[in-house]
Amino acid sequence: MPSLKDIRSRIASVKNTQQITRAMKMVSAAKLRRAQHNIVNMRPYANKILSVIADIAITHRVTHPLLSPSASPRKVLVVVVTSDRGLCGGFNANVNKFAERFHRENSSKYETLDILFIGRKGADYFRRRGLKGVDTITNLAREISYVLAASIAERLMKSYSEGGYDEIRLVYNEFKSAISQNLVCETLLPIDLSRATLGSQTDSKFSKDLLFEPPPEEIVDDLLHKHFAVQVYRCLSESVAAEHAARMTAMENATNNAKEMIGNLTLTYNKLRQASITKELIEICSGAEALKG
Amino acid sequence: MFTLTLVTPEKKMLTDVDVEEVVVPAFKGELTILPGHAPLMSTLGIGVLRYRVKGSSAFQSAAISWGYCEVNPRGVNILAETAEATDELDRERIEAARKKADEMLRSGKLTVDEIVKYQRKLRRAEIRLGMLNKH
Repeated sequence: MPSLKDIRSRIASVKNTQQITRAMKMVSAAKLRRAQHNIVNMRPYANKILSVIADIAITHRVTHPLLSPSASPRKVLVVVVTSDRGLCGGFNANVNKFAERFHRENSSKYETLDILFIGRKGADYFRRRGLKGVDTITNLAREISYVLAASIAERLMKSYSEGGYDEIRLVYNEFKSAISQNLVCETLLPIDLSRATLGSQTDSKFSKDLLFEPPPEEIVDDLLHKHFAVQVYRCLSESVAAEHAARMTAMENATNNAKEMIGNLTLTYNKLRQASITKELIEICSGAEALKG
Repeated sequence: MFTLTLVTPEKKMLTDVDVEEVVVPAFKGELTILPGHAPLMSTLGIGVLRYRVKGSSAFQSAAISWGYCEVNPRGVNILAETAEATDELDRERIEAARKKADEMLRSGKLTVDEIVKYQRKLRRAEIRLGMLNKH
């Protein structure tokens, strides 16, 4: 049976924890707003680049190695995007479990299946299971900037061309809403234009006699690299937004749990207090009875 | 008169601004676009974008690095990796960046990739400083 003092200190410590989780929730909410803002701002740029590539590729019949999907990829690189910090519910666990299953089920199908980690949590998880990634990128700044994403994209592009991968896939949490994230496994390279081309065939504003400077092949090459960087930026931004959303929900739950726990503890505390008062009264009464004799 | 739109991955700088003249740093040199320009598609280098808003005689400018520009009958669309208006530039930061790039280039122990990277940085810093000095 815990003493009254024990329970009092328990209540105080739970209250402290509750304060921390509540503060973390507020911080995450503020960061989430900023991350959402980022995603919205990036959309026009991303859409525009894709539609221009599609337009040029169609009207000028440009072919490019990055645009031709290989029918049976043999060397695949999986990029696992997690967060650097924990305390965000199932956010990292979902990604890690999916990546692990993917690796287990498909490693026999491909000649090589390498993993690259972005974020510390994924790298830690796989290291404990004895799987080593080809590269680990951690300590991302708190906010993903385009410059940072572009440098990561450059590294990926380099390993695509030099490491001889046929396909690069990205596993990350997509931001759906503040309470739900969606696990996505997306093929980033080679670039699939089929989605964009459908839309642009009808409303292409391009005329055949457009002036190009430099020639269309070079522009497409440049644009494809930028498009890839933008895609990486988009995925990382989504992941960051999802992380903050997940942390916000997790902290909200933690705060509620703490509240419930404080309620229960207070109830036990009061019961115990009453019991001890009753006990003391009985002792006094029975003492008096005994003296009366 | 035509419209100018400038978009970067991080923000939308200008949306359908009515302009009379735009000077873009195309990859082979500056390119002036006046109303009625033929449809054109060009990549842009590191440099200064200047534009004259309708009804004013002074140019406004923004420092941009890599981008591409599309001219169609309605106006000019520019997608740039980064774009900063003159009043957003911070002289101290640029000078620090320039000094660092310069030192790195002089140190003589860089790989080819790094040399290209720092040369770009140096050029970017110099163009920005030039923009500030003119202002």
